[in-house]
Amino acid sequence: MELGSIRTKIEQELSSVKDLSSLNQFRIAILGRKGLFSELIERLKSLDKEERRNYGREINELKLWAEEKVEELKTHFEMEEKRRKELASWIDVTMPGAIPIVGRSHPLTQTLEEIVKIFTSLGFSVAEGPDIEYDYYNFEALNIPKDHPARDMQDTFYVRPGVVLRTHTSPVQIRTMESHLPPVKIIAPGAVYRCDNDISHTPMFHQVEGLMVDKHIRFSDLKGILTVFIHEMFGEKTPLRFRPSYFPFTEPSAEVDIGCVICQGSGCRVCKNTGWLEILGSGMVHPQVFRIVGYDPEEITGFAFGMGVERIAMLKFGIDDIRQFYYNDMRFLSQF
Amino acid sequence: MRVPLEWLQEFIPLDMEPQELAKRLTMRGLEVENIEEAEFSFKNVVVGNVLTVEPHPQAERLKVCKVDIGERAIPVVCGAENVQAGKKVPVALIGACLAGGAIIEKKEIKGITSYGMLCSEKELGLSDDQSGIFILNGDARPGDKLETVESLRDTVFEINVPPNRGDCLSIYGIAREVAAIMDKKIELPSFEYVTDGDEGVEHFISLDVKDLDACPRYVLLMIKGIKVNKSPYWMRRRIIKCGMRPINSIVDVTNYVMLELGQPLHAFDYEKLKERRIEVKVADSNLTFRTLDGQERGLIPGDLLICDGHGPVAIAGIMGGENSEIGEDTETVALESAFFNPFFIRSTARRLGIKSEASLRFEKGIDVDTVEYAGKRAIYLMHMLSGGHVLDGKKEAFKKEEKKRIFVKYGRINDVLGIILSPEEIGRLLASIDINVVGEEDEGFIVSIPSFRHDINEYMDVIEEVARLHGYEHIPATTPVTSIQPLISSKKDRFLSETRQYLYSAGFYQVINFSFFSRKDLDNFVIPDDDERRKCVMILNPISKELEATRTFIAQGLMKNIAYNLNRGSKNLKLFEIGKIFIEREEGLPLEYHSLALAITGRERDYFWKGSPPEYDFFDLKGVIEGLLRIFNLDVEFRKGTEPFLNSSVSGDIHLGEEKIGWLGEVKEGVLKAYGIEQRVYCGELMFDKVMKMGNLERKYNPIPRYPHVIRDFSFYIDESIPVSKVMGMIKEVSPFIVSVGVFDMFRKERRSISFRVLFQSYEDTLKDEEVNKIQDEIVKRLTAIDGIVLRS
Ligand SMILES: [Zn+2]
Repeated sequence: MELGSIRTKIEQELSSVKDLSSLNQFRIAILGRKGLFSELIERLKSLDKEERRNYGREINELKLWAEEKVEELKTHFEMEEKRRKELASWIDVTMPGAIPIVGRSHPLTQTLEEIVKIFTSLGFSVAEGPDIEYDYYNFEALNIPKDHPARDMQDTFYVRPGVVLRTHTSPVQIRTMESHLPPVKIIAPGAVYRCDNDISHTPMFHQVEGLMVDKHIRFSDLKGILTVFIHEMFGEKTPLRFRPSYFPFTEPSAEVDIGCVICQGSGCRVCKNTGWLEILGSGMVHPQVFRIVGYDPEEITGFAFGMGVERIAMLKFGIDDIRQFYYNDMRFLSQF
Repeated sequence: MRVPLEWLQEFIPLDMEPQELAKRLTMRGLEVENIEEAEFSFKNVVVGNVLTVEPHPQAERLKVCKVDIGERAIPVVCGAENVQAGKKVPVALIGACLAGGAIIEKKEIKGITSYGMLCSEKELGLSDDQSGIFILNGDARPGDKLETVESLRDTVFEINVPPNRGDCLSIYGIAREVAAIMDKKIELPSFEYVTDGDEGVEHFISLDVKDLDACPRYVLLMIKGIKVNKSPYWMRRRIIKCGMRPINSIVDVTNYVMLELGQPLHAFDYEKLKERRIEVKVADSNLTFRTLDGQERGLIPGDLLICDGHGPVAIAGIMGGENSEIGEDTETVALESAFFNPFFIRSTARRLGIKSEASLRFEKGIDVDTVEYAGKRAIYLMHMLSGGHVLDGKKEAFKKEEKKRIFVKYGRINDVLGIILSPEEIGRLLASIDINVVGEEDEGFIVSIPSFRHDINEYMDVIEEVARLHGYEHIPATTPVTSIQPLISSKKDRFLSETRQYLYSAGFYQVINFSFFSRKDLDNFVIPDDDERRKCVMILNPISKELEATRTFIAQGLMKNIAYNLNRGSKNLKLFEIGKIFIEREEGLPLEYHSLALAITGRERDYFWKGSPPEYDFFDLKGVIEGLLRIFNLDVEFRKGTEPFLNSSVSGDIHLGEEKIGWLGEVKEGVLKAYGIEQRVYCGELMFDKVMKMGNLERKYNPIPRYPHVIRDFSFYIDESIPVSKVMGMIKEVSPFIVSVGVFDMFRKERRSISFRVLFQSYEDTLKDEEVNKIQDEIVKRLTAIDGIVLRS
């Protein structure tokens, strides 16, 4: 057979091969053990030496050519196959994904943790005391005598004579000083209770109490520590001021105001047009309190402070109703 | 304390803007909470000067006035009796708008055209008085808009006076502080006290103060022949601006002087005093007494009373009696100006629940030195407003005491405050508020405290004054010099924080509920009578029945949260709360424990397009608890549930050894119904203190195995009476090469079939098939030896 026509025939047949399986059939028919080339090579045996060499070389060339062609097509079909498979697994990436369901902490916990973190970084340890407290620790030892207005039935939940739900976290000050010699550096976060239930009061809320007592603690140190706290909590540019106030268990006492975070000091409803927001109460520990816990007020000085966690959380998150913290509405909790 | 600036100006000229003054008072510890600008509800009302008043030709009760309103004079028809020529009056011009909203029009009244209206105080919205035309001060200029008239314009400061600063509960007291701010001195108002020489107080009344400790000073003054009437506008207006109510020309004066000087006064109708005498004594028996507000008050021994020899006529310092009250026809007044011991006033006022303006001031202590002065000032004003003649002299009891003296070291002041002030500077600061240096010794000085400062009793009180006067803003912010201590980090905080982190990532939201609940919750949860949880701490004065006690378990709170959220459309919930619970006990404070409650309801999400997520069930909650306890290296046992509020078939008790540390399960339908919940809820509660006590957060490294593991599966029919956990434990015991046993399938037909997957692992060698086969055979042998376990072929 004329090799030229074989070549043409192969070319024609290859052009009609449309997929891998027919290519495979073709390959077996042409290049297989019993294929066309095997047959041609078989035929060589009948030729003389000279012819066999020439013809054999031509056949070999033609076979190599055919193999190459088949390989080329195979790669092509394989690529096509891959692409087809890929297309078959097409997805619409705009379909919604499966967002993992994770929970969140309560905003009060978040705020409390932030406050605690700042003070522990300043060297304060966390202390605690009971929620149901002796009148003595809640009032008397804090220099709040029996007929002080803060002890009115309206404010304090009584459990039995001499036992109350603590109205502030300040009793932890007393308990800590009673059981530790100075220096004392603690913060005491916790729930406190007052007989109040209206739009701006809940019967339970949270406070963080702080106390730093040592030999040479000054009023200026109180300013220093609380300034650091406020700048950490509300940002370094937050204006703040200390102004005289009154608490029975501190003297001098100071109320700490920050520049209103709502109106930036220009005056609004939240800050009652003053441009300032009360954020915490503080002062130098009253000598009487030191005497009560057995410290010598001539030797030891210190400062204490207390803040409402709800109030700080409200300002930080812009929450306008304190009761939201206790409805535990998912539409609220999922925002933080 | 409400402070009209116009009144304050009488004591000290205020040469600064109200805002600036407010700021400076606030920084001195007298917080100005609100600055109230006078607002007028009228428009287009001017000052008029009445030129002539003539009777109306057609109407007997009307008058025709010619009123100068600046550039011209207009005729105005008027019916009031107090209109006189030469008086300055407010004239509402045509188009004016009055307090009630009335618009003034040109009007013909019986043939005479009126071009405006003369107004009463009520018509202008200034007070309730409508008895006549409002007569303005003589210096008002005709034609000026009424709102610009000085005596009407005013700003009122609302000052939050600290509870220890009773001396600032008066205009004069505030003026004293303002003067100190401005570095000025002020004086008490001077007046001429003119008496009728012939008659002395001592002829009319006697005074007997039985207990000079309860009443260290008592002064009685008298005025006769008065005519009780209405106080003039300026006085009434000041009283109103200070938040009180004008009554009559005698009572108003007592209130006015109290507001002005801080000395509460009481006026008795002398004729009503039965025995013409005043006795101040501490009650020694129970009695009832009708106060001038018409209420019967129960008095007990220890109450300080003012008596007339017959019985009480006033509860000292708190409220007068109806029996001696000033009336329209009172002619003779016996005026009490006294200093009562704050202790008596506080205890009686608190017991009776009375908070009067007088008791408020007496409770904090007033100025004993101005008792007589204030009384005389009041008598002077009564005479001015109500006529009569003032009786000469006074009756007085007075236990005089030395002024307090306090020794302070200069160094101590600077040390405590962290400032450096010289003794001279400190002395000068203190002198500005009448705390004067009276001696110097031992690197310090002795200061004398003015009689009105009851809050200054020891050196720290003086240091506070120095800080306040120096200004907190001038005290630096410093870093404390103190020894470094190791932080005490508590195991509790680490356990809490691990727990919370774990639960957040497990999809739980943290809730915070009040520590309160109701005994109804115990009933809802069918808690038995002898259960510890019945021992709740009752609140003596609860806010409501729902908050009558402190909670003894937390799960009830989660039911309320679930109900709340279901009602608002959130159907899939995973909630937890970690907080305190309280158990009452016989002695000492109630016990406080930490408890952790979890609840799940609904499903992971409502829908997902790949397939609907399954509803939560018992094992979703159990898995969460198992995983949590694993963090704390706790190996707990789940036993059949015993809680009465859980479905007994779908609940378990959590045991740590023999101790029950919690429970979990499906909440009974009846319980859910009590909270208005209509879908299945799985709930659990763990005694967190037990978890903290028995658990730990230790982590120990186990070498990673270098050889491959082998997995074998087994299926058995296991009788329902045999807990699977027991079977799993038995499998594990068979060989140390068994590192885990899991359940990968379970179905129930006639019998229960359970399929286990067992993982074999050696740390020394690759396990050979023969070795594993041997163990496998042993597992089958051991299990099938048990009655109720059959190998599934
Ligand atoms: Zn604001």
